[in-house]
Amino acid sequence: MAHKKKAADNLKGTLYMTFAVGFVIIIIWAFCFGLFTDRF
Amino acid sequence: MHKTIDEYGKVEEKETALVEKEEKSPSMKQKLTASFIRVDGKDAKLAMAHMYVAFIALLLGGLAGLLQVLVRSGEFTLPLGIKIGYYQVLTVHGILLALILTTFFIMGFQIASISRTAGAFTNVQRKIGWTGFWLMLVGTAAAAAMVLLNKATVLYTFYAPLKAHWIFYLGLALVVVGSWLLCIMQILKYYRWKKENKGQTSPLLTYMAVVNSILWITCSLGVAVEVLFQLLPWSLGLVERVDILLSRTLFWYFGHALVYFWLLPAYMAWYVVVPKVIGGHIFSDALARLSFILFLLFSFPVGIHHQLTEPGIEGFWKFVQVVLTFFVVIPSLMTAFSLFATFEMRGRELGGKGVLGWFKNLPWGDARFLVPFIGMVAFIPGGAGGIVNASYQMNQLVHNTIWVTGHFHLTVATAVALTFFGVAFWLIPHLTGRTLTPKLNYLGNVSGILWGIGMLIMSLSMHLAGLLGAPRRSEYSTYGGAEMAYDWIPYQIAQAVGGTILFIAILVIMYIVVQLIWFAPKGEEEFPVATVAPGAEKTPAILENFKIWGVILVALIVFAYTMPIIDIISNSPAGSKGFMPW
Repeated sequence: MAHKKKAADNLKGTLYMTFAVGFVIIIIWAFCFGLFTDRF
Repeated sequence: MHKTIDEYGKVEEKETALVEKEEKSPSMKQKLTASFIRVDGKDAKLAMAHMYVAFIALLLGGLAGLLQVLVRSGEFTLPLGIKIGYYQVLTVHGILLALILTTFFIMGFQIASISRTAGAFTNVQRKIGWTGFWLMLVGTAAAAAMVLLNKATVLYTFYAPLKAHWIFYLGLALVVVGSWLLCIMQILKYYRWKKENKGQTSPLLTYMAVVNSILWITCSLGVAVEVLFQLLPWSLGLVERVDILLSRTLFWYFGHALVYFWLLPAYMAWYVVVPKVIGGHIFSDALARLSFILFLLFSFPVGIHHQLTEPGIEGFWKFVQVVLTFFVVIPSLMTAFSLFATFEMRGRELGGKGVLGWFKNLPWGDARFLVPFIGMVAFIPGGAGGIVNASYQMNQLVHNTIWVTGHFHLTVATAVALTFFGVAFWLIPHLTGRTLTPKLNYLGNVSGILWGIGMLIMSLSMHLAGLLGAPRRSEYSTYGGAEMAYDWIPYQIAQAVGGTILFIAILVIMYIVVQLIWFAPKGEEEFPVATVAPGAEKTPAILENFKIWGVILVALIVFAYTMPIIDIISNSPAGSKGFMPW
C-alpha cells in the first residue's frame, strides 16, 4: 500500500492501534507474571 | 429478478464487470441478480441443513450452560424433574457448543462461501457433501443418546480413563469421517476451479475454506487414531487398559489445531466479508493468504503446551512446543494490522480526520459489522490470556483452573461465536431468499451487546476466580469449608449473572434465526464479498502451492511429535482401566 503518500492515507491510526493491542497483551502478561513470582 | 447463467465469475475482482456484462446480455445464463452473485440453490440447501443443526445445538447447549452456572452459584439445584446430573449437563454443553455447533456451522459457511465465489458444486461433489452431512448427523445422534442415557458423562474432552459407552466413541468417529467427506468435497471443487482457470489466483474465500479443510483433516487424524485404536477397543472390552498419556497427547495434537479450525472461518468473515459490509476493500489478498498458511503451519507442532503439567513428557519438548506456540503471534498481529487498515482506509474515505477520527465513521448500526466487531474486541484479552496459558512456567498459575474456561469463552465463545452470528444474520436470509429487516438488524445488535455484557461479567469473574485457584469443570462445593473456597463464591454468583444474560442473548438470536428462516419478508440479501484494495501487490503464486506447504507442515509435525511419542510409548506404564464415576 505504498502507492500513496498523502497524510490521510498513511495508516498512522492502524499503526497505533496494532501497537496498542500488543501493549494490552504485554500488560496482562506482566500482571500475571507478577502473580506468578509472588506465588511460586 | 433471478437470471440463470452457466458460468461463474472467475475471480472476485471481476464481479462488478460481470454484473454489468450480464445486464447488457440478459441471455447469458449465470446465477446473478442485478447486484450480486447468489449461492447455487442446491448448495444452499446443503448449507442450510448444517445451519439447522448448528442453531438447535446453540439453543440446547446454551440451556445446559445456563443450568451449569446456576448450579455453580450455590443458590440453585437442578430442578427436581430433571433426572440428569451436573456433569451430564456439562458434557451436553461442551459437546453441543464446542463440537457440534462449530463443526456444522463451519461446514455450512464454507460450502456457501465456495459456491458463492468459485461457483456451484458438481452433483458428484454435492453427493459427497450430503453423505458427509448425514454421517455427521447420525454420529451426533448416537453420541447424544449415550450422553442423555448417562452412559457417556465424559465431558467434551472425553479424557481417558473416564470411559464412555462404545457407541459414544463410534458416534464421534462418524462425525469426524462425515466432516472429512465435506472437506474432500470442498477440496475437489477447489482443484476443479484451478483446472478450469489455469494460472489464475483462486477466489480468496474459497482458498481460505480449503486451507481450513486441510487443517481439519490433518488435525482430526490425531483424534481419529485415539478413538479408533485406543478408546473404541478399550470401551468394547477388547483391551483392558489404555495408555492415558498417549491418548491425551493425540487429543491435544488435535485439540489445539481445533481452535484454529474454529477461528479461521471467523477470519474468513473478518478478512473478506466485513470489509464489504463497511463499504471498503480487502487490505491485501497476499497478506490474508499468507496469514492463513502461517496459521495452518503453526497450529500443529504446539499441542503439548496444553500438557505442560503432564508428567511423562520431557521438559525439552515442552519448551520447544512453547516456543513454536509463540510464532502464532505473527499471523495474529498481521490480521489485526490488516483489519485496522481496512477500517482506517474506509473511515478516511468517509471523511474521518486525525489519527483515530476515522473510527466513528464505521457503520456501528449494522449488525453484520457490529456483532463480529464485538467479537474482535474480545479476542484481544482472549489472545493475551492465551499467551499466559502457553507460558511454560506461568501455566502452573492457571492450569486446570476456571481461568482457562474464561479464556476460551472469550476466544471461541465470543470472538468466534459472535462472528458466526454476525454471518448468520446475512447468510441465512441469503440462503432462504429472505431479508434482514431493520427490526431484525436492531435485534441483532441487541443480541451482540447483550452477549458482550454477559460475557464480560462471566468471563472476567472466571479469570479472577481462576487466579484465586478455583478449579474448572467441578460442581459447586465448599470443599469441606475451606476458607479459600469461600473466596470463589462471589465470582461464581457473578458467573451465574453473566451466564443468564448470555442465555437471554441466545433467545434473541434464536428468534432472529427463526424469523430469517421462515418469516422474514422474501427478498434478496447480499452475500458480501469484498474486492482487494486498488494498488495492493499481486498475490505470489507460491501461496497456492499446497505441495510446498504440505511438506513443511508434515516436517514440523514430525519434528515436534516424533521424539515425544517414541518416549511415551517406550516408557509407558501398564495403562489404566476405565472409570465411570457417575
